[in-house]
Amino acid sequence: MRRQVPLILCFAFGIVMALTEFSPHPFSQWLNEEIIDWALVIGPFALVLAVATLVQSHWTRIRRRSEYWQYSFLVFIGMASMVLIGIPGGQRHEAFVWLFRYVQVPMDATMFSLLAFFIASAAYRAFRARTLEATLLLAAALIVMIGNAPVGDLIWNTIMPFQDNLPSTARQWILDNPNLSARRGIILGISLGVISQSIRIILGIERSYLGGVEGD
Amino acid sequence: MELIGIWVAAMLTLCIYSFLYRDNPFYRFAEHLFVGISVGYGIVLTYHQGFKPFAWNPLQEAVTEQEWIGLVRLIPIGIGVLFFARLVPSQGWLIRYPIAILIGVGSGLAIPNVMRADIFEQVHGTLAPFAQIHAGELSRFQIFGVVLMLIGVISTLTYFFFSVEHRGVVGGVSKIGIVFLMIGFGSAFGNTVMGRVSLLIQRVDFLLHDWLHLI
Repeated sequence: MRRQVPLILCFAFGIVMALTEFSPHPFSQWLNEEIIDWALVIGPFALVLAVATLVQSHWTRIRRRSEYWQYSFLVFIGMASMVLIGIPGGQRHEAFVWLFRYVQVPMDATMFSLLAFFIASAAYRAFRARTLEATLLLAAALIVMIGNAPVGDLIWNTIMPFQDNLPSTARQWILDNPNLSARRGIILGISLGVISQSIRIILGIERSYLGGVEGD
Repeated sequence: MELIGIWVAAMLTLCIYSFLYRDNPFYRFAEHLFVGISVGYGIVLTYHQGFKPFAWNPLQEAVTEQEWIGLVRLIPIGIGVLFFARLVPSQGWLIRYPIAILIGVGSGLAIPNVMRADIFEQVHGTLAPFAQIHAGELSRFQIFGVVLMLIGVISTLTYFFFSVEHRGVVGGVSKIGIVFLMIGFGSAFGNTVMGRVSLLIQRVDFLLHDWLHLI
């Protein structure tokens, strides 16, 4: 019951999903869509558990008066305001859209833009053209960055009398050729790994997802 | 409301940028609010795009319109509820049932879809241009790119092929693979930096244009 049934369930659902993808029969298509819908029903419950864990961890911080415990109230206030407006009012509710547009989106963009500073300082320390590989990495990164900025073409066209817009052309060529071929190699490798791992999971060879939970 | 929104967004933006000086109460305020708002947004999205259309609505229709087949959705709801078994230590093993189903569905879907989208399409994209070369549709420079693409894909794959020792021909080909990988990583880094810089420009533009009307 504790290990065999989950393995059987995983095998049954995995085999059915893999086979029904290939079959054009209406029943097969219906079964495929129905199981995907089932997964979409089961999935959100995992989110509820995740939220319960987040609430529990911040509640513990408040209860124990840990360092910066006062800020945990902000997590609850933010979460509660979105949920209390969004669940009954829907995603198009005026207040929900306002919170999304003027609170979440600016903070999201600002958080990610902070990385511009840290990534620049990290690059300054890490990018040393000591070997051929490091030089290639540095050169590719520089060409892509200069080619991405319109000012790159402007500077080139001003000081060089030949080959207009070379930085952006070189950037596009790097992205379309050596970069794409490396990405294709990586994607093919990952895909083969995903398929072999999926077969191992369905056949019950890979069981790490069963974990070692309490009550086992 | 729009004016208040712009002021709120500007204040929160400045709170987050204050971290560039050092960790401070303003940054912690914005950081914790951001976590709460984002989690709340995720909950609302999951409810309206996942639970409501796929679980609640079929059940409601089953009861109001007597389409009893909709009651079948009680089964995945029951399975989903088993996630909460994690909160009861002695029954924690029950969480394996929904996890096993989700992993089984994901694995079953991955096999045909990954094969189709990531293997067949990528191989097709690498080899199809050779037909254009055969038809005489490509310039010499484009032919160079097509051949370079094939060499890059094969050498990169060889670099990740660990079943054979990287010596001799295999070692040489895998070294070529490293060259392509480095150019690929460099390009990815350059694109990431430019993406972040674009966000920074957008935020500065918001502060100077939308908020202060200076530009």
